[in-house]
Amino acid sequence: MSRIVVRDLTKVYGDLEVLSPMSLDIAEGSFVSIIGPSGCGKTTLMRIVAGLEPATSGVVELSGGSPAEARRQKRVAMVPQQPGLLPWRTVEANARLLLDVHTAANPSDAADPTELLREVGLGDFLDAHPHELSGGMQQRVALVRALALHAPLVVMDEPFAALDEITRAEMRLLLARLVEGRGATVLFITHSISEAVALSDRVLVSSSRPGRIVADIAVDLPRPRPADVEDDARFVALCAEVRHALHGGRS
Amino acid sequence: MNKRFLAPVVGIASFLLLWELVVRVLDVKPFILRAPSRIVRHLVEHAGTFASAAWITAMHAVGGLLIALAVALVVGSLMAASEFVEHATGPVLTLLQVTPFVAYIASVVLWLGSGTPPVLFITGLVCMPAFAFATVDGMRGADPAARELLASVDASRWEVLWRLRLPSALPSLFTAARYNVGLALIAAYLVEGGNFANAGLGAIGRRAAALNEGDTLWAAIFAMALLGTVLLVLISLLQRVVLHWHVSQRTART
Repeated sequence: MSRIVVRDLTKVYGDLEVLSPMSLDIAEGSFVSIIGPSGCGKTTLMRIVAGLEPATSGVVELSGGSPAEARRQKRVAMVPQQPGLLPWRTVEANARLLLDVHTAANPSDAADPTELLREVGLGDFLDAHPHELSGGMQQRVALVRALALHAPLVVMDEPFAALDEITRAEMRLLLARLVEGRGATVLFITHSISEAVALSDRVLVSSSRPGRIVADIAVDLPRPRPADVEDDARFVALCAEVRHALHGGRS
Repeated sequence: MNKRFLAPVVGIASFLLLWELVVRVLDVKPFILRAPSRIVRHLVEHAGTFASAAWITAMHAVGGLLIALAVALVVGSLMAASEFVEHATGPVLTLLQVTPFVAYIASVVLWLGSGTPPVLFITGLVCMPAFAFATVDGMRGADPAARELLASVDASRWEVLWRLRLPSALPSLFTAARYNVGLALIAAYLVEGGNFANAGLGAIGRRAAALNEGDTLWAAIFAMALLGTVLLVLISLLQRVVLHWHVSQRTART
């Protein structure tokens, strides 16, 4: 588990201010979504937290250490927007990819990717190649690849953005099931209000560029989230709250 | 499936038939153009000689290709890693590609002596640029999401090269190999003819040309064509096995 503390974080590319001073405190083991309009710096924030990019100013701490340290210790697992599967590797080998590199930093309690693949319904496809899978199945492999690391922090950058609505809904349930009880802190970036509310303990609403947090909405829906959570009146009310915050942030 | 084998056979057979007809009907003099039937007869009569010479030429061409590939992987990796290296090396490789290597065969033979070394040197040299450019293109084209992913767990440069960039370069390397096979055979043939070792189809062709032995010369040319076809088929088979995951191997039949 990882606590994420962000203090006065800014990011500037040349003349372009992507993140205006931003501060966050995300509790260990919580699932937090960041939702905001395109180009609001969500992905930049995620890359800084994952240690892939330096901040212009400000501090990011993951359980007291720097993101660069966490990256070197393989304590951050990423799920990118595109699955990023290697076409020459089988499903099983793809799920193992992050464990196959920089092996010195592998955690002793790494999950068995094969078992996880069975858990997400890909047991019959272990020897298949990515081109034989549907988009949803490919993204499931990407999820397993990240979770197999057993990292205390999982960052996901709109992992379901490229999927159709029906598959998205399935993936939402699957992700909730996989993450609940695993104890990892999850930072989830999305464009989808219902996705954010259905999955999160907290939804942070970002303004358009330069991004700053304009609303911090606690989601007090029960855990584990039932499959019909979206029919809940509370769910509908929370979605409305997020939508208002999004629109308010734009004006 | 049948059509894929049938079509090339029909094409080549028609070409040879047309050639045979032109020579017979127009009664073309043998010193201008020989009928394919006559060339094939000569080739079959001296099959042993041509087969052992073809084996030598094949080893020269394949050896040169492998040397070129090995050097190009190193050069290409460095170019893909650094834009400065790429911009400094690119023009030199282009010069190598556009300079007629026939012009400096004699110098290389004087330098390296006769026999296999100058053949491998020139064959390797002329095939290297295409492999190097293919390496750079393929490595640069590696999936950005996968690159980011490997960076997120602090994979070393070597791991990224081995696990991602090199496999990503395989499709373009195979394309370059198909192009380079012809070049390697031509280079091997010409350098064999241009040195004093008297080995390979190039030596047979050169001597036949000097002595005006048309049948032998044309038989050597046919043997070269046959050799090129065999090497291309072998590369295609290898490509099918190695690149079974690649889109080029999956849509080939549709």
